[in-house]
Amino acid sequence: MKKYPLIINKDGKKHFYRLSLDLRIQHIILAVTVIVLVLTGMPLKFSDTTWAPYLYAIFGGSDMAPVIHRISGVFMGSMFIYHVISIVSQIITKKILPLKKEGKMTVGEVTRVLLRLPMIPNLKDGKDIIGLLKYLLYFTNVRPEGDEFTWKEKFDYWAPFWGMFIIGFSGIVLWNKVIATQILPGEILNLCLIAHSDEALLAALFLFIWHWYNVHFSTSVFPMGTVFLTGYLSEELMVEEHYYYYVKVMTKEGLEDEIKPPHGGGHNPTTCGEPKIVPPDNPSDTATESPNNTTQQGGISL
Amino acid sequence: MSLKSRSGPLSYIGIFVLLSIYFLPSGAQGSDVGNCLLCHKYPGLSRVDENAEMRLLYVNEEIFNKSVHAKVKCEGCHTDITKIPHEPVKPVNCLAVCHIIEPAEEQKFSHKSVEKFLADSVHGTKDQNGIEKPFPEDMPTCKDCHDNPMFRPLAFVKKVRPGVAEDALGRCRVCHKKEEFIYRFYNHITTRLHKSRSPLNIAESCGRCHDDPELVKRHNLSTMAGGSYGQTFHGKAANLLDESVPDCLDCHVPKGQSVHQMHGNDDLRATTHPENRGQICGSTDCHPGASPQFANYQVHPEFNKEQEPVTYWFTTFFIVLTGGTLLPLMGILFLDLLRRLFPNASFKRRN
Repeated sequence: MKKYPLIINKDGKKHFYRLSLDLRIQHIILAVTVIVLVLTGMPLKFSDTTWAPYLYAIFGGSDMAPVIHRISGVFMGSMFIYHVISIVSQIITKKILPLKKEGKMTVGEVTRVLLRLPMIPNLKDGKDIIGLLKYLLYFTNVRPEGDEFTWKEKFDYWAPFWGMFIIGFSGIVLWNKVIATQILPGEILNLCLIAHSDEALLAALFLFIWHWYNVHFSTSVFPMGTVFLTGYLSEELMVEEHYYYYVKVMTKEGLEDEIKPPHGGGHNPTTCGEPKIVPPDNPSDTATESPNNTTQQGGISL
Repeated sequence: MSLKSRSGPLSYIGIFVLLSIYFLPSGAQGSDVGNCLLCHKYPGLSRVDENAEMRLLYVNEEIFNKSVHAKVKCEGCHTDITKIPHEPVKPVNCLAVCHIIEPAEEQKFSHKSVEKFLADSVHGTKDQNGIEKPFPEDMPTCKDCHDNPMFRPLAFVKKVRPGVAEDALGRCRVCHKKEEFIYRFYNHITTRLHKSRSPLNIAESCGRCHDDPELVKRHNLSTMAGGSYGQTFHGKAANLLDESVPDCLDCHVPKGQSVHQMHGNDDLRATTHPENRGQICGSTDCHPGASPQFANYQVHPEFNKEQEPVTYWFTTFFIVLTGGTLLPLMGILFLDLLRRLFPNASFKRRN
């Protein structure tokens, strides 16, 4: 599997590793299929509006749009299954099997390891939400110091995860309604229709407002975040959103001297004293000092 | 010489008259033998009736001539008009014997046979025992459902499409010489081979009564039928002008019978009776192979706690989930925008 350096220098600026190529491809498949599914599904949900027939006609009307919708659904579903298999296999090989080798294969130990996975919501996320509210309500000028994955990213991950499961299952039942109702009662089709369409509306609003705002439209990243394409996040955004993790990575890479102060000017956790004023990047220095040989294995870091 | 001098202008007039007749719109050759369009061709022709309602009396000749009743003389329906100008007319009785000859039996045509079907249906004013139903005045009459529909011809050539197939007309012309007859006959047959209205149009037509809250309540109906149909895939596709989806009549009219022979759900003759319902969806044209429990799908779902608690609470769950997820996030998003817009504002008073 391809190794990714934790920090790369480009044009004299540090960029921090976030997403492997595998995950970026999965994300693009997800993004494209979600958009196509919304465009071909919403005209049906809002069929009594004036715009619906025109949008539906763009996708070939009721002859073609359902076919496009189902093909997109198959791509999304396949990607979802691939993702789950990929993540589960990584957890087993990197977390569970080492426990077995060490002879610590107990229920408590496995639970502890699973709960410490970086995408699992934890107590720090709760504290970070409170911290963010304090910051947004002007009670403090310091943003919460986010870890590798902030509560927003965990929310962005688990919401579509739940959504894909619900929408996928109900979609398969509705698609194969004649077969499904050989076993299930006919009323299940009503429930599937409600679940499929209401959950899809929630997902669409969540992604197109909340997710897009955070990763594209917020003033820090506008007009477009590029991490989903490059896999690397700029130092400014790392400091703003992932300061706790930023300090860990910089320390691990031996770059303690270059650690920037937190967003809004708080205390630098590494110095435990006065805020450290870090001079602006010197491209030549950072380029030579950055140890590019430090790498991380592709996929979600476990 | 004199003869020549007289016949010259006459021949020009004759040619003009002949050309005028030839190029007259087809309607002029149609059924307006009473010359009713002399007055009714004017778009502004209208009056305020006894109920203080504006009545538009204009007849668009071009549209009327493409309608299914174009060959019927005006007096065929408006039987009380015997002179021009005429008195205010009575409402048309659709069951009257009209002045068109039905070609199969060569008798004067009438819709009267519909009367007994309608009387025996769920829309009749009396029940099966001949006892008058409550609120009989609410039951539909012909014009509550029917207008004067346009022909919707179909062309069967290499594939079926809307319109007239010139290839087919070519075959007609071999034997039938009258062009106007060929067009009308073709239109009549091909319009009758499919529906004269789209599913959306049918649903809207039924919805005029079945979506009226007062009527629904008065007749103790379990659903606002047009509205609840619109919540299903069938209704949604109908909204998007799909003509292939089933409308009200496809499920409620027994196969091979007329739309006037619909029966109530508690009538064993009804397609929607619990014992027959299972056969509706599994027809060859719809969902072949569908099991009887497929038809337990609620075609008229109501968001009603007492009537359909499972659907009600299931829907409520998703409403709460949507609101509970999005509202807090939108709040944070709004605060984030404010914080970015006014980064230096503070609740703390500065000295």
